[in-house]
Amino acid sequence: MLKFLVDTHHNLCIKCKGCMAICKNYNKTPKGVNRIQVVTINEGQPGQLNIPIMCLHCNDPPCMKVCPVKAIYKREDGIVLVDKDKCIGCGYCAWACPFGAPQFPEGGAFGSKGKMDKCTYCVLPFEPERDEKGNVIYRDPVPRCALICPCETILAGEMKEITKKLRERVGALTASKIESLFLF
Amino acid sequence: MKLKMTRRDFLKTSAVGLAVASGLIKFAKADIFKKAEEEQKKLEEKGYKLVKTICTGCAVGCGLLAVVKDDQWLWVEPWINNPINRGKLCCKGASANYIVHSPRRLKYPMIKRNGKWEKISWDEALEIIAKKLWEIRQKYGPDALFFAGSAKVSTEMAYLQRKFMAFWGSNNIDHQARICHSTTVAGLGNTFGYGAMNNNFNDMRNSRAIIFLSNPAEAHPVSFYHIYKAKERGAVLIACDPRFSRTAAVSDVYVRFRPGTDIALIMGICHELVKNGWYCPDYVEKRTYGFDYFKEEVLKDDYSPENVEKITGVPADLIRKVAQILAKNRPATLQYAMGATQHVTGSQNIRSFAILQLLIGCVGRPGGGVNAFRGHDNVQGATDMCVLSHSLPAYYGLSEKAWKHWCRVWNVDYEWIKSRFSSEEMMHKKGFTMSRFAVGATAEKYGWKLDQPSPIKAIIWWGHSTASIGDLKLVKEAFESVELLVVVDPFVETAAALPERKDGIIILPACTEYESEGFVTNSARQIQWRNKVVNPRYESKPDMWILFKLVEKLDKYDPGLYAKFTANFGGKSPEEIRPEEVWDKEVMVGCISIGMLGQKSWRIKRQQEYDYTFSEEDCRSYGGPCKGEYWGLPWPCWNDKHPGTPILYRDDIPVWEGGHDFRVKWGPKAPDGKSLLSGVNPQNEIYVNGVKWLFAIGETFEEYLDKNMLPSGRGRARFYAWNMKDPLPKIREPIYSPRLDLVSRYPTYEDEKYGKFHFRVKIKGRSWQIAWLKANVVDIFPLVWTSGRQVEHMGGGAETRSNPILAELQPEMYVEINPKTAMERGIRDGDLVAVVSPRSLEYDDTPAYIIVKARVTPSVPEWLVFTPFHWAGQFQGKPYLDRFPVTNDMDTRPIVYGDSCNIVNPPGWDPETQMQATKSGICNVVRADKLQEFLSQYRSKIEKLKAELRKMKVME
Repeated sequence: MLKFLVDTHHNLCIKCKGCMAICKNYNKTPKGVNRIQVVTINEGQPGQLNIPIMCLHCNDPPCMKVCPVKAIYKREDGIVLVDKDKCIGCGYCAWACPFGAPQFPEGGAFGSKGKMDKCTYCVLPFEPERDEKGNVIYRDPVPRCALICPCETILAGEMKEITKKLRERVGALTASKIESLFLF
Repeated sequence: MKLKMTRRDFLKTSAVGLAVASGLIKFAKADIFKKAEEEQKKLEEKGYKLVKTICTGCAVGCGLLAVVKDDQWLWVEPWINNPINRGKLCCKGASANYIVHSPRRLKYPMIKRNGKWEKISWDEALEIIAKKLWEIRQKYGPDALFFAGSAKVSTEMAYLQRKFMAFWGSNNIDHQARICHSTTVAGLGNTFGYGAMNNNFNDMRNSRAIIFLSNPAEAHPVSFYHIYKAKERGAVLIACDPRFSRTAAVSDVYVRFRPGTDIALIMGICHELVKNGWYCPDYVEKRTYGFDYFKEEVLKDDYSPENVEKITGVPADLIRKVAQILAKNRPATLQYAMGATQHVTGSQNIRSFAILQLLIGCVGRPGGGVNAFRGHDNVQGATDMCVLSHSLPAYYGLSEKAWKHWCRVWNVDYEWIKSRFSSEEMMHKKGFTMSRFAVGATAEKYGWKLDQPSPIKAIIWWGHSTASIGDLKLVKEAFESVELLVVVDPFVETAAALPERKDGIIILPACTEYESEGFVTNSARQIQWRNKVVNPRYESKPDMWILFKLVEKLDKYDPGLYAKFTANFGGKSPEEIRPEEVWDKEVMVGCISIGMLGQKSWRIKRQQEYDYTFSEEDCRSYGGPCKGEYWGLPWPCWNDKHPGTPILYRDDIPVWEGGHDFRVKWGPKAPDGKSLLSGVNPQNEIYVNGVKWLFAIGETFEEYLDKNMLPSGRGRARFYAWNMKDPLPKIREPIYSPRLDLVSRYPTYEDEKYGKFHFRVKIKGRSWQIAWLKANVVDIFPLVWTSGRQVEHMGGGAETRSNPILAELQPEMYVEINPKTAMERGIRDGDLVAVVSPRSLEYDDTPAYIIVKARVTPSVPEWLVFTPFHWAGQFQGKPYLDRFPVTNDMDTRPIVYGDSCNIVNPPGWDPETQMQATKSGICNVVRADKLQEFLSQYRSKIEKLKAELRKMKVME
């Protein structure tokens, strides 16, 4: 199962917005559509925490449940995608999603919302490429945000692998404090 | 799609191969970094080109892969094998292609005639410039030209800019480094011998404590890749910043102090270290000079934590705690940037940092060092090439010996160079600086005195930003008063649009760094080759071509100039001269003083090819053809076999392995008779057959290196620098200090310290402060003003504000203000406010102000406001987008714009380097609609300050 894991245990993110920029760049999303966003809580005070938020590709996605036209589906490897041919832009998914992942481009006809767009684990850009036969080309699931994150806040990959990675990190950071026991 | 792989490719990726062979397929596939590399390989097979290039966003020197098809840069891929960043990027690197393909690029040369922008051909533009420059030269002399060079161009191009001005016959050339890290060069150079970042970014992972004196989370985000490695290994992060920055948010200890009191804070920590005996006596005794003088000074009551608390606002206990952390966590490293350098006491701030690191014995060892994080991608390279008014390339200075040395390198006659200057005296006199050139251009209008025959009549503005320069009101007047203004930039830099004038401006479209090629030196002295990603867009041209072409045009009026300028390149045409030629034939020959001798172009390029052999732990290659070399061959790299010196002053390894020592720069003996040679392995500077090493052109120093000797000698670091204005760091209040009670006890520098003229202008620090003291207007300007960076933007922002992605991520200029302060003034988040400061009263009638949006946040304390400095396109509330060229096929207006905060910066210049003061100002914030009310209400007070300033004759 492919997953994202945002490390909020260690207050790592410095809000450099590299993830936002590379996502826009790689997936060519238009202005206003951010498949990933960095939000800040407690700004300017001790306890300030920056959290990159994207589609977490839930095990049981609420957006999928509420979609009236069944445009949202979950792939076998766990990636949740939207079929833009089916999407009618009703916005139900945006209400259902607890993380604000579904995005809508500005200015649809008659003030309607455009087709929903969200993180695709980098397998599809905003406007999918098609081969000669008109089939959508899917890229390899390698999320750019996790690749370039300088603080390694965003972990991506097989669920088992990234939980293992986080467990190691928690161990290292906890162990680093142990030495302080021997100061006196 | 089937993966095509030859046997050789297979062996090349033997690590993956081994994993597959031993049945670890699952493990190998799971890592997204491996997957990304496989994907990149597939892209290449599909016909995409992946070009290795270097980000231009800051001085970390991140590598990135440009995905190119049909000469179009499509997107950015991580360059996972680059040891500096391992593919990590911030938003600037991640959107680099949008700079090249920005819709707001300048497409062709433009000239302003009769108030209108007109398209013009390259040939005509250069012809007009050459003719006008020649006229000005004939009429006013060579010193009437001021050349603003650039840290954004490649190192060899920066070198050519300096060479051009030498051949033109004036020292009036300067660039960003003056207002960036000039005080670092003075501060570190006078302590250790060399004025650059000691260690490198990767090395920070070996630290046990990291002191931040800047905000790298926003200014150098990718450095956190290494800083977090240190944290994982148990390092304590200490953030010292007036503002609760993003760095402070992720640090363990936060120290909030008043801007401009760095010396008090650091000396307070030193006081505790010395008092409690927590320093390193062995190190101090063997490797330093003048500790006794320092000890006497630092143990004074002024530096006791209690007194420091009164000055800086940092609780005494917190100072003790920091000292305790430093006592127990070594090696400690210290990093800083503009927040420390841009002060009247800038050089002394840096000296105090160096002294702190010497005390705890952390200079010249892994995980230690004083790490100056520099700003532009090539500012270290441009500084090394000394695009500066006080020195020839490689810090040789302006002495006769220096000129003769470089004349030998250039292959021209010394007497001829001398004849280019208006007199021999001008040849050795320091020129105007970036911080005060505006006085040189406006002196005539106001009757100010200058130390040169004529005022500035022409300005060449080559890749420099306007928004970062202080006293912008005067800079605007300077641009308006000169006869010719030439702006060279890929975008329309603010300088072309700011002045309200009808003609006399020519803008030339240089291509971006990604469309040209060359060597870039990052902050850690690591030199990388930047490949050309795509061909120059539209009619833009590489910087080097423009410069050579201009010299060729000048040749018409000045016969023989081009032949002499290109003497080492065999009279080739501007199109034919390659960056590698300039690099290998001149830069690598002449820059002996900093050991830039072994970084030949083929070595740098070979490193790029074998990037995967370098370790990210210590940047060293452990196999392949580059075995033993350090990434980027950081200087000093004494010859073609030397691996480079990643950590300066490290004396526990042989020179052949990258060992180094403090430089013997002030002779083997101090004035007090004590030895300045190292106590470990003393050795004086090398003389090769009677010629000092600095001037031994063609020498490889191999036999000396075999004996573990250093050409620069093995000397001592100086606690006490007798040749500086303050031999030891001393607390001095900013000129416009908010604490009038401290001014008499800790006054700024006396007028005499600046001499009769300081870099050709008058500077009167103390007179200014006395006027401020007498006027006593602190009650109407009660807030402290400081400035800094936004992560999305870079420098003056001409590039980044025209980058659609970055403009979307950060569309606004603002002033950060504390909720309580805002509430008292009736300001709500998002309101338009005016930031008023008592600046520009020395020549103007109204105080300077800017109109910006308020951003109400508790990250600034009640007494402080913060503004980012990247913004332009609006001047004191009035947008001037209509002055940017717009034609039917080109729109050069920046996507986002705002007021420039450096309109309101305070006065003050460092007596060593004339660094401007843009970090510790004074201001008030009022609602924009109440500005006139504010000004009329306090008219008498403002008039009083104006009268005092004029009475003290601060400008005359």
